Amino acid sequence: MDAPTVASGLEPGSFRDPDSRVFTTDGRVLRLLSEQGLADWRELSASGLVDELVGEGRLVGTREVEEEAALGEAIHGGVAGVLEHDVIPFVSYPYEWTFSMLRDAALLQLGLLRRALDQGLILKDSTPYNVQFRGAEPVFIDVGSFEKQREGEPWAGYRQFCMLFLNPLLLQAWKEVPFQPWLRGSLDGISPQELRNLLSFRDRFRRGSFTHVFMHARLEGRHDDRDEDAKGELRKAGFKRELIVANVKGLERLIGRLSWAPAQSTWSDYRLDTTYSGEDAERKARFVREAVESEGPSLVWDIGCNEGVHSRIAAETADYVVAMDADPLVADRLYRTLREEKQDKILPLTLNIVDPPPGLGWRGAERRPLSERGRPDLTLCLALIHHVSIAGNVPVAEFLDWLRATTRSVVIEFVSPEDPMAGRLLARKRPNDHPDYRADWFERCLNERFDVVRSETLAGGRRTLHLARART
Amino acid sequence: MSPVSYIDPGSGSLFLQALAGGVAALGVTTKLYWRRIKRVLHIGKTEDESAPS
Repeated sequence: MDAPTVASGLEPGSFRDPDSRVFTTDGRVLRLLSEQGLADWRELSASGLVDELVGEGRLVGTREVEEEAALGEAIHGGVAGVLEHDVIPFVSYPYEWTFSMLRDAALLQLGLLRRALDQGLILKDSTPYNVQFRGAEPVFIDVGSFEKQREGEPWAGYRQFCMLFLNPLLLQAWKEVPFQPWLRGSLDGISPQELRNLLSFRDRFRRGSFTHVFMHARLEGRHDDRDEDAKGELRKAGFKRELIVANVKGLERLIGRLSWAPAQSTWSDYRLDTTYSGEDAERKARFVREAVESEGPSLVWDIGCNEGVHSRIAAETADYVVAMDADPLVADRLYRTLREEKQDKILPLTLNIVDPPPGLGWRGAERRPLSERGRPDLTLCLALIHHVSIAGNVPVAEFLDWLRATTRSVVIEFVSPEDPMAGRLLARKRPNDHPDYRADWFERCLNERFDVVRSETLAGGRRTLHLARART
Repeated sequence: MSPVSYIDPGSGSLFLQALAGGVAALGVTTKLYWRRIKRVLHIGKTEDESAPS
């Protein structure tokens, strides 16, 4: 007899919770529930919390649907019920979020937990992978996390909350160390003992440090190898729901006050520094606007988005824009501005396109590579290629190969070696390190891979914009 | 120990919650440690604690 195989369409990152699995088919997102999972959903649904939270935009739109249970194998013991969720336009992960994004996701998680507790429910886990962003609006997606709270039981997700939300935020706020590489390095996050080892004597006196880091690390070291009934002991000592609420409120205050505000970074003052005159900037904006109108894209990527000027232009017409910048401070500022505007069409992310997020986790498939989360119809590469090619050492031809495989159309700006911005990068290299960084070679490579629709020269000939469609 | 979730909540992390509740948690923390002290010193009723849960 053949061993049962995992059905295609099952979301490879949703296997951890035995009561709930996500399944995608024909662009729809379904959640398969076990008997227990269905009972938890009915409890949640009867509480009125779903309608409230969906109405506020905090929880993804969800409804129960009648589906053929052809996926019986997906849940051990059989599928008892199926939910359908609204689709998130572009999936992103915490190691691509900025500081303020992880902070807002943490506050969303805590707020939901507090409101669940009011209804006699609890969230059984606490992972930022249960939060997604619709533009700059965080939304909780794992309806399967809600379950009935049993009186006298502590919050099982507290440790996970610390490892994946609190500790990464503390690392960045207190030590000015960006958390993204740490979360990309470990899907479990940063343990209390690891964070404690990074903190100084002075850090012991910071708010929240003693309890959530030092005592937590100490108790973890002391108890975690012992086979003891912590839950039973706590219940006998009178542990009650109010203590979880008090802890959650304390965490909300602590996280609400955290900030990461370095004065500046490499690119944070780019606009002040740019070589463009007002007139050229206008012509560039017009070129981008016309390109977006003529290509009619659904999904746009803006790589090296900086302040998001062109992302905003793209969002006037496109359905959704993913605005990426390698500089976490620049991306964080963009996020905060977009969040204030309640912008739900532009998703800001911090990532380096020369080292893009790979597949991670079990089978390398739990968290998908950037390129597998939705093919852009149009990609903006404005004032980007000199960074990729000179600073990042990626040959011009290889970058264009990658672009052709990635996007349908591209607006790409070639920054000539004579341009001060490119010149600054070239000055750090030996004279012959980038023999392929020339306008004629770039144009030859572009024409071999793309059909160039139109081009425009700016900045006295030092910069050229091209709109091009990938050859298939 | 009896499970509370499909994720490992960590015994240390569960005990910490008796401390993290601030003033509200004082009673529970005191009781938790008082029970332990009594157990170490073999004072009072300990049968219910030694019974398997």
